[in-house]
Amino acid sequence: MNTFLSRNRLIILAYIGMLLLVLITAFFSPGFLSASNLRSTFILASFVGIVALGQTFVIIGGGIDLSIPWVLNSAAVLMTLLCAGQDLPLIWVVPLLLAGGGLIGLLNGAGVALLGVPPIIMTLAANVILQGLILVFTGGTPTPAAPDMIKFLSVGRISGIPVIALIWTALTVLAWLLLSKSAFGRHLYAVGTNVTVARYSGVPATRTTILTYVISGMTAALGGILLTGYSGVAYLGMGDSYLFTTVAAVAIGGAPILGGSGHYIGTVAGALVLTILTGLLPALNLSSGALLVVYGAVILLTVSIGSETFSEMWASASNRRKRIKEGTENG
Amino acid sequence: MDIVQVKGLTKRFGGIVALDGADFSARLGEVHALLGENGAGKSTFIQILSGALTHDGGDILVDGQDYRPVNPDEALGRGIAAVFQELSLVPDLSVEQNIWFRREPRTWLRTVDVAQMRQQTLELFERYHFPSIATTREVRNLTLAERQIVEVAKGLAKDPRILILDEATSALPASEATWLLSLARQLADEGRLVIFISHRMGEVRAIADRVSVFRNGSTVATHDAAAVSDDQIVTEMIGRQLARLYPERVDTATDRVALQVRDFSSPPMLNGVNFDLREGEVLGVGGLQGHGQREMFQSLFGADKALGSITLWGKPVRFDTPRQALSGSEGIALVPEDRRGQGLLLSKSVRENLALPVIRRFSHFGLLDQRKETELVRETMKSLSIKADTPEQIAGTLSGGNQQKVIFGKMLMTQARVLLLYDPTRGVDVGTKGEIFQLMRQLASEGYAILFYSSDLPELVNVADRVMVLRSGRVARMLEGDDITEEEILRAAVFDSEAA
Amino acid sequence: MDSSSKQLQSPQSMNMQSRLLAHAPFLVACSMLVVIVAIYGSLQTGVFTIDEINLNTAAAMTLMLAATGQTIVLLRGGIDLSIGGMISLGTVIAATRFGEEPANILLWSAIILAIGFGIGALTGLLISVLRLQPFLVTLAGWSILNGIALMILPTDGGKVPEWWIGSGYLEFLGLGTPVWILLALIVFWCWFRATRLCTIIKATGSSEKSAFLSGVSITRINIITYGLSGFFAALASLYLTTQIGGGSPNIGTDYILPSVAAAIIGGVSLFGGRGHLFGTIVGAYILTLIGNLVFVLRVSSYWQPVMSGVILLLAVLASSYAEQKARKRGS
Repeated sequence: MNTFLSRNRLIILAYIGMLLLVLITAFFSPGFLSASNLRSTFILASFVGIVALGQTFVIIGGGIDLSIPWVLNSAAVLMTLLCAGQDLPLIWVVPLLLAGGGLIGLLNGAGVALLGVPPIIMTLAANVILQGLILVFTGGTPTPAAPDMIKFLSVGRISGIPVIALIWTALTVLAWLLLSKSAFGRHLYAVGTNVTVARYSGVPATRTTILTYVISGMTAALGGILLTGYSGVAYLGMGDSYLFTTVAAVAIGGAPILGGSGHYIGTVAGALVLTILTGLLPALNLSSGALLVVYGAVILLTVSIGSETFSEMWASASNRRKRIKEGTENG
Repeated sequence: MDIVQVKGLTKRFGGIVALDGADFSARLGEVHALLGENGAGKSTFIQILSGALTHDGGDILVDGQDYRPVNPDEALGRGIAAVFQELSLVPDLSVEQNIWFRREPRTWLRTVDVAQMRQQTLELFERYHFPSIATTREVRNLTLAERQIVEVAKGLAKDPRILILDEATSALPASEATWLLSLARQLADEGRLVIFISHRMGEVRAIADRVSVFRNGSTVATHDAAAVSDDQIVTEMIGRQLARLYPERVDTATDRVALQVRDFSSPPMLNGVNFDLREGEVLGVGGLQGHGQREMFQSLFGADKALGSITLWGKPVRFDTPRQALSGSEGIALVPEDRRGQGLLLSKSVRENLALPVIRRFSHFGLLDQRKETELVRETMKSLSIKADTPEQIAGTLSGGNQQKVIFGKMLMTQARVLLLYDPTRGVDVGTKGEIFQLMRQLASEGYAILFYSSDLPELVNVADRVMVLRSGRVARMLEGDDITEEEILRAAVFDSEAA
Repeated sequence: MDSSSKQLQSPQSMNMQSRLLAHAPFLVACSMLVVIVAIYGSLQTGVFTIDEINLNTAAAMTLMLAATGQTIVLLRGGIDLSIGGMISLGTVIAATRFGEEPANILLWSAIILAIGFGIGALTGLLISVLRLQPFLVTLAGWSILNGIALMILPTDGGKVPEWWIGSGYLEFLGLGTPVWILLALIVFWCWFRATRLCTIIKATGSSEKSAFLSGVSITRINIITYGLSGFFAALASLYLTTQIGGGSPNIGTDYILPSVAAAIIGGVSLFGGRGHLFGTIVGAYILTLIGNLVFVLRVSSYWQPVMSGVILLLAVLASSYAEQKARKRGS
């Protein structure tokens, strides 16, 4: 139990931070805890959470995915174009776009794992190339409205619970199973910790790395499709903020940017923290500039707590506790 | 008076005691050799002397004054410089930039005076008869031997009164090693103190005035080199454990060939190796460093590419990745050279490390059976007597010997029955060394076939059933029975076997 | 024994070749620039005039200045995403504080530069003391600085005096201000690259451990490199105000990834230790001229990001290919 606490302390801290934030927000804006407000908070957090799922996998594997914004945006634009407001085409459009996102991820992963291109460069290039291509393709003109079915998935409810929260929950369970309960998860943590050791231990390192980018491409595409339902239309630039928020959610959730540890369960808390903060600031009458400052401060705080310097202080403190305990037992 | 006096020096790393009351003294004008097994505390000692580490307890006096440097600059301020084995050179800088790093001559514009720097480099090279190396080449493009030479030049450029050479000859070919020895002598004759660490007894004999022997973190004795026998030094180095270190050699080899290797090559390092490894056999691999041993082990394991044919238990195989080598019932497993860089996930638990190569075996319908995993991990920990509190202990917090046992455990959990062991006792304490040799013999008797490289000749002589000596990427000689002696291995490693 | 002593003497021809290989990324960048200029020049008249040089240098100058700081940080083996925030902050401070008084403007210019250096130095200190990853710290820094910029000036606005704007378009000996700034940058680099400090920065980027063992204070190097990066970002913001005539609280974000891309295209290694400002300058010209190329080729301007992404990938692949070649030679 003790090892569980110490190993997951950053994730636990993220949840404690989130709860504190909820209390503070409820104090300053009493309406925050109302059912409708909680619902809308959850809906907003779901988009961040779903898109950040892939980013979490990539970061645990020691990479980073900067192509998320325009994978998301492309999926959104193509979905509205291909469906033209109709529900029926979704049957083939959604799988097609998810596969498309996966394909971009496959290319990213192949560039990183096979050609040795640094992840930052590979995914950055993919992002600008996609951006250009989708701009060329649409000519910058607006696209049709989102189909009703997508709107239902994004903002609809089933017996009071937002549908998207259900989707998010299902994905969270899936991510947990993959990371904690599958051979792939073990391989992933091994690759993120030390790719050479992983390779020497018979781990299919190349395949594992590529898969993380494929997952990221697919969740970004899914996020784009769902986000269209929320905003009603797909617009150019709708994914831009997701680069920052996904990385921030992962960081706040306690995963080190160098990979090898962290968990999607932490990212969930990160996504909620970011969203609650967005809701808190209007209550405090703070501007969008202040929100960015707070975002930055929160990231700085969490990476500081997760830093080696703090980890060592933690370790020496717990050693001392242990020694004191043993000392009293012996004496 | 002795320029360096050390009394009761102690240093710990977490739970591991590296130095435990070491005493030492040396004077200007001598070459003072430090001898001791790996892990005896020599390298910790010189790291403290050179300011790379600080000591926990004890006193160091230099010129009779207290000495406690917190960084290499401070050590240099007192005239002490070190040439480390783990190289301090910057790969992207040129030879001359490295030699004068942070102490380059400057122009009035505060820029580096390149002409002056080159001049100084050439003067330094000439004065000490350095082998020729182009001074403008980037260090990243140099061979290991050339880097070692540049490292020596970097140390000398600081004009220290005390120069520490940490196994500086180990990476050098014979002619350059001879040069370095005469250099050390020249420096001592100039009135400097040279502290010299080497595993080669012959070198110590050739130049050292005095010898200090380290064992288990303290100094056993200091002798005049001329007045002490090799036997006495070896006894002091090893202590009384000598008798129990090596298990009795029982011939368990059968006639069945486990691994047949033909025309195995990967130029320029590996040039056509042929050998048979039999079931139940421990086949030693010897030779000077850098004669293809590493490449052979890596390539057999699929971590590097090589040409030639491998037959495993009678079936021709071809491994392009370690995963292929490890998978299946007839695989090859490797205990790699670099424990931290290749062998272990230091920040992960013993359980995660042990189960990593076989994790898929615990997978049912995509989900892991963690109970079964823990059970098997515990079994392995018990059978190898890995000293960890629980399977959840972080591997990096184990002692070196126990870390090595975890790597053995990883490989034994696979079904591979051909084991490649690359210097498995390096940096391992004596007690665990004995356990590892015991384990090797036991595995051999269970039908494993073991290929065993060691940089330590006595290990090969005392553990292996046969020893093949590699030279220039070929098998120079295959030694059997009474031929397996340190002299024979060395002779085969250095001279042409036919001529000798 | 014979063969081993032969190893020590490298023939001069091999030396020549490996030196060429070492410069391969820069040479690749130069040839790409030549190709782009050639295409541009063959389709458009008046390309090879001083006016055109003035114009294009003006367009590239903000990026060049921002990328100068980025180059220094990259050489040290780090990355600085906070320059985006600093550029925005610089423009809004200038736009709100400059007034008309020349003395006041000089004072505030100096203050902006000092803020740039100071915040960068603080970032470097934080990275060293807490042993944090620069990516996340500077990401947080970007958010905070951008937030402060938004708090000072929520939307584009403010103004700088006419003569300040005019100073960006002065001509001397036919060459405009930006070209003189470029010449100053080149002179600066010719000096800087020959100093001990630059050698130490490159050494730290090449191998932090070796540098440390050789007595380098990593903390000091971090403070200096991130400080310089902040300084050049502030300088970029001052130049940028002459181009946009006021403050823009989000404009800096457009320079973060392009500054990295310009350096990478110019052959600066993302892993530190290798590259120089001349490469970065070429890279910045390439990224800027692609815009002109799209124009003269009469294709949609949306092709511009596609081209820059492709060029980025080509540059990285070329340099990693050259490195592999060099490594084979080295071993």
